[in-house]
Amino acid sequence: MDFLSALVNGISMGAIYGLIALGLTLIFGIMKIINFAHGALLMLSMMIAYWIWKFSGINPYILILIVSPLMFGFGYLSERFFIKPVLDRQKDVREPIAVLLLTAALAMVFENLALMIFGADYVMAKTTVTDATIVLGGVTLSAARFYALILALVISSAFFLFLQYTELGRKLRACGQDRNTALLMGINVPQTYAIAFGIGTALLAVAAIVLLPFYYVHPTVGNVFMTKAFIVVVLGGLGSVPGALLGGIIIGLIESIGAQYMTATLTTAIVYLVFLLVLFIKPSGLFGSKFEW
Amino acid sequence: MLLRGKYTKIIGLILVTAMMMCFVVGCSGSESGSDVEVIKIGNILPLSGSAAPLGKIGQEARDMAIEEINAAGGIKSMNGAQIEMLYADSKGDPATGVSEAERLITHEEVALITGCYQSGVAMPSTEVAERYGIPYIVPVPSEDQITERGFKYVFRVAEKTSWRNRDQVTFVKEMAEKFDTPIKTVALIYENTSWGQGAVRAWEKYIPEAGLEIVLKEPYPSNSSDLTPVVLKCKNLNPDIIMLVSYVSDAALLTNTFAEHKVMPKAFVGTSGGFADPAYFELTGDNCEYYFDISTWEPDVNRPFSQEVNQKFTEKYGYAMNAEAVKAYASMYIIADALERAGSTDPEALRQAFAETNITEGPTQMYASEIVFDETGQMVNAPLVISQMRKIDGKMERVSVWPEAEARPGMEIVWPYPGVGQ
Repeated sequence: MDFLSALVNGISMGAIYGLIALGLTLIFGIMKIINFAHGALLMLSMMIAYWIWKFSGINPYILILIVSPLMFGFGYLSERFFIKPVLDRQKDVREPIAVLLLTAALAMVFENLALMIFGADYVMAKTTVTDATIVLGGVTLSAARFYALILALVISSAFFLFLQYTELGRKLRACGQDRNTALLMGINVPQTYAIAFGIGTALLAVAAIVLLPFYYVHPTVGNVFMTKAFIVVVLGGLGSVPGALLGGIIIGLIESIGAQYMTATLTTAIVYLVFLLVLFIKPSGLFGSKFEW
Repeated sequence: MLLRGKYTKIIGLILVTAMMMCFVVGCSGSESGSDVEVIKIGNILPLSGSAAPLGKIGQEARDMAIEEINAAGGIKSMNGAQIEMLYADSKGDPATGVSEAERLITHEEVALITGCYQSGVAMPSTEVAERYGIPYIVPVPSEDQITERGFKYVFRVAEKTSWRNRDQVTFVKEMAEKFDTPIKTVALIYENTSWGQGAVRAWEKYIPEAGLEIVLKEPYPSNSSDLTPVVLKCKNLNPDIIMLVSYVSDAALLTNTFAEHKVMPKAFVGTSGGFADPAYFELTGDNCEYYFDISTWEPDVNRPFSQEVNQKFTEKYGYAMNAEAVKAYASMYIIADALERAGSTDPEALRQAFAETNITEGPTQMYASEIVFDETGQMVNAPLVISQMRKIDGKMERVSVWPEAEARPGMEIVWPYPGVGQ
């Protein structure tokens, strides 16, 4: 019974890790950019969602329809005005490292802006789902985590289908495979990049909202999930959608079940150990292929 | 033109020199004119950096006490000598604390030093004072070691960290007897840095001594994304008492997750830190009701002078005192008392006076009914209060419940833990 509780908790928390990593893996898969601002963007989405909730009191899950488009726009414009100019200037550089530094700088800017505007207080959205729990066959799970699991599964599958079967999805994948060839085939690569960054950020907004009812909001909250998102992405295979979800769930399970048999501090070490093992045995990650999509 | 420029400079220089001479003469004139002596006290506090707000409230509490002491006629045995406060910024950094202690002693020639906020700064800076043989009063830092090094000139007003853990154990034991709810097992959940580990060392000593059994020792990283695994493990063992050491974000995650999984020990006992943070109520809502926490002072604690002094402080600075401010405030009266009895600023006489301190009346009552130092310079009965989080008129409050003599009148302890919203 307790094992079952730990199992269910591990899967639900892992699905959230996967959802957070989804945007990161997309941006890497298509643009080949390691986005260090990912955690800060998650924090920003949570902040925005929190304040809209605070002033309107709307059900947090309906907020997805507001915050996701908002963050898509934010991501799209960030790409246009910050990342694209730097990418263009380093077009012929073999290792375009400037973008990596740029995203790290953006992370700091976002965090400090949030500190300035929203202050350093810890806040939490005490919504109607916050303290609700679901009991299934003796297993207790908070309603918020249950909805998080459902949403993570639905969003990841929808996104996977979108990439596989739509025109835009094919364009995105084409840019990811070879941007010069994609350009020759008549794809508007710069625009596709901006869309990719926008979608990555919008997916992150969904993750932010599933966290909102049961997690605190603070300018540093992104850092808690940032490292984990990177591990998930490498574990699942850079650029792989099912890989991100599975990687997330594996880490969630190690943390949750592991902690029943050892101290929580030790499970963190185990997560990194598994990560190292995967890098040794299959450096491209569980779902990574040498063709990348 | 060039010549004129040169002359202006020379004339300017002469004028400035003349002015400075006037000042110097003026100053020395006024000093020798009156026979009121000035006693300099050096204070090392974190006035910048992340702990700056905590340093500031310590400074304000000191200033308020010294204003009162000076206004009441200063140190009477020394012809009404006035106390002058010198503040040095440690930035919360041990090395800066050491150099500021050196500067205060050798350059400013202070009679004694007080400070700091952090134990990490107090440890090395007290060594400096000990070397020079200058009394050092420690109002706040609680690291056990500070008064366990055989120093002669260091006097600590604060409690030792381990005493908090000792009193937590005494408290749960007493409650179990009072309410006739036998307890046997204790789970310890703590953040895994030196703070949490220190608490566990103390608990490992006091809990078995009280005839209780530690069934779980669970450290966790305070930046954990999810503490459900820890909570599930705890629920599985079903301990009678859960004791916690947490910062604010993890304290809130734990409290909310305990509520979610309906973990029901006889009591949850926090160790200040995150549980005493104002944000804790905001993050947990009703989930923290009936939790216990330990501290040295609460605004509602039933002690003489407590309400009055806190009210005056609130009117003066716009916010209430905290436990650290109370200790700083009381320390100033302890210093004034020692100076009064010593009748001089001679370090040896002053040290002797501090060692013989025995105050049982006056504003120090708001901190402790009796101020006495043992031979190690440790305040003997540094008092601790246990408070319980209670919802009063729809708002969560910390209510002092133990020791009974200092409890808020009219409030009953809720024991055992009845669950959220009961």
